[in-house]
Formats: sequence, C-alpha cells, structure tokens
Amino acid sequence: MINMNKNLYNENQTIEEIKNTFHTAEIKLQRESRIIVKLRSDLIPPFLSYAKNYLAFNHLAHFSCVDWIEDNEFELVYLLYSYEKNIVVIAKTRISRDKAEFVTIKHLWRQAETYEREIHEMFGINFTGNDRLNEFILEDWDDIPPMRRDFNTIQFAKDNFYTRPGREDAQDVRETITKKSGEKIPDFAKEFSVRNLK
Amino acid sequence: MFNDKEASKIVDIIKNFARKHSLWVVAYGTGCGAIELPPTMTSRYDAERFGIRGSATPRQADVLLITGYLSVKTLKRVIRTYEQMQEPKYVIGFGSCTINGGMYWDSYNTIKALDRYLPVDVYINGCMPRPEAVISGFIKLQQLISEGKADGAKRYRENLEWYRENQRKVIKNWRMPEYNW
Repeated sequence: MINMNKNLYNENQTIEEIKNTFHTAEIKLQRESRIIVKLRSDLIPPFLSYAKNYLAFNHLAHFSCVDWIEDNEFELVYLLYSYEKNIVVIAKTRISRDKAEFVTIKHLWRQAETYEREIHEMFGINFTGNDRLNEFILEDWDDIPPMRRDFNTIQFAKDNFYTRPGREDAQDVRETITKKSGEKIPDFAKEFSVRNLK
Repeated sequence: MFNDKEASKIVDIIKNFARKHSLWVVAYGTGCGAIELPPTMTSRYDAERFGIRGSATPRQADVLLITGYLSVKTLKRVIRTYEQMQEPKYVIGFGSCTINGGMYWDSYNTIKALDRYLPVDVYINGCMPRPEAVISGFIKLQQLISEGKADGAKRYRENLEWYRENQRKVIKNWRMPEYNW
C-alpha cells in the first residue's frame, strides 16, 4: 500500500522522465521509493545507460535472474539505486529460454561482470561481450546449470551423495503445523510435501 | 621389573595423558558453525582450561573441526588439510549437517555424511551446537584418547581405498596430491 500522505515527488518525477524517454516501458510504483520498469530486451542497455547518466542511478545494487519455465523465458532483473533521490529502480526484461543470450553491461558497471559470471554458471545464460565467463563457484560441474528449474535437485543429490538411513520417518513441518492449527494445505504446496518427494 | 609389553602400555598411558591435555585445533571453519568457536575460545567459556587451543597451520594441529556443511569444493580442501596433518590427529564432526545433511539434505552441492569421506572420532549434534555442547564433545574426545579408542587416523590409513573411492565419486576431476605418511 502506498501511503498517500507521503510526498512522492521524486518518484513521480522519475516515472515521468522514464515515460517520456521510453514510451513502451511498463512502469509501476510498487511502493515508496521502489519503481518497477518492464522493458523489451533490446531497450535494456540504453535504459541502463540513460538511468545512470541522466537520472543519477549510479549504483548497480544487484543483478539477478528468474526462470519462468512455464513461459519458456528467463527474466533478468537489474536493481539500480540513486543516492541523490533515495529510490530503487528495478529494470526487468525477458529473454527466450531456448536461445539464452544477452549483452553484457560490463562497460557501465564493472561489478556486473561478477554477477554475469554467476548467472552464466547458475542459469547458463551467455553474455556476449563478457570474456570472463569461465568456471566461477561450481567446480567441475558437468550437468545442466543447477538453478534452472528443469534441473532435478533431489534426484541429483540422491544419485551423487550418500544418504544416511533414518530420515524416512521425518515429519513434514507443514503437516504438523496444520494438524495443530486446523489450517488446510493449499494444493500447490502439497506437491512439495516431504511424503510426495520420496 | 616390567617386560616390554607392560612397559609400552605404561608409555602409551603417559602419551595419551599428554595428548588429551593439549588439543590444538586447526583454525579452519566451514559452514556456519565457525561462529560458535570465538565464544568457546574466549573468556566466557574458556576452552583453554581443557587444553584446547587454536593453531595456525594444519601441520601443527591435532584436531580438525568440521564446523557445518561441506560443499564438494570445500571437501577437496578439507581432505588436503587432513592429509597434511601429522599424527596423532582427530576429526570432530560438528552440527547435524555433517551427520545426515541437516537442512541441506536436498542440496546439489553438499555432502551429507562426513564419515564416508574422512574418519570421524566424535560427532556433536545440534544446529548449531552451543559452546557447552562443543566443550562436551571435546571432553568425549579426551575420554576416547585416554582409553586409546580415538583411532581415526589409523582407520583412514587402513581403509584408504574405501575412503578414496567415496571421495573420487563426488570429486569428479581428481587433481589431488598423494601424501606418503
């Protein structure tokens, strides 16, 4: 909920400036000092450059990725922070999952190189222009990238690491809580119950 | 007078007495359990009254504390550290992650049972064990030493093939040095 008593002058002004420059951007004021901008993937480098040089969003706070396997897409999320305005701008874009490739933003913020290496390792996205996409956190990994949702983590752990017997009768925390409170487990959560995972 | 067997027994008793009162722990923390060690070592719990002290390098240390989950990448370093240590050497598994995986039971990159890869003398359960539990684990280790039962290093030497096989199963690209003790 946005508190209407708060002075949102900075936020509204920033939204106005982004709107005037990028007409196709979907902009949403999530809450005070938090703006979400959804953009076409080819507009991301010009938008980030514009935000850095003209709107004083100097700081790349975070860069991460979300796997939307249902839509066959990856979502890239850039968090930019402005020390002058005290606002976070979240720039989101979607790229195809089949051809997981994007351009680097290393020339704008040097620390983006490390984020890109991590996303390359965990999601398998190739960043053209970044020449340091070599082995980073995982050593000797020869499976599909582990943060992709089609990677079966439990099966992998079962195949590779010895499981000590004795955890079979472990109680599901969710079931125990619902027994006490009488609350129902929603259907989407049942899928991830300990009993169904075996 | 004593015969040879009795004499060596008495020497063993004296040796074990000395060993159990000077346990030097190699300063190597894995996972989140390392945060429990500063309070254990400092004035509140004062582990030094039991002869437990930190040591800078593995070659000078007696005890390897595995303080929490081990990723495969860390396991490599832990095996190298353990193999560099001089005998007598002991391993303490610390926290439920080393026993059965703990909360990382379904992780893609952490091992779940430490004693498949290194010979463990004492396990301390808990998530995380408090300094009291850590000290009680050390006292248990001292008991085992004085009874001559803390023979992890001997087990490792005798069953080296079995340990190596398990280690090679998770460490796919094996580029480890071979030590001849």
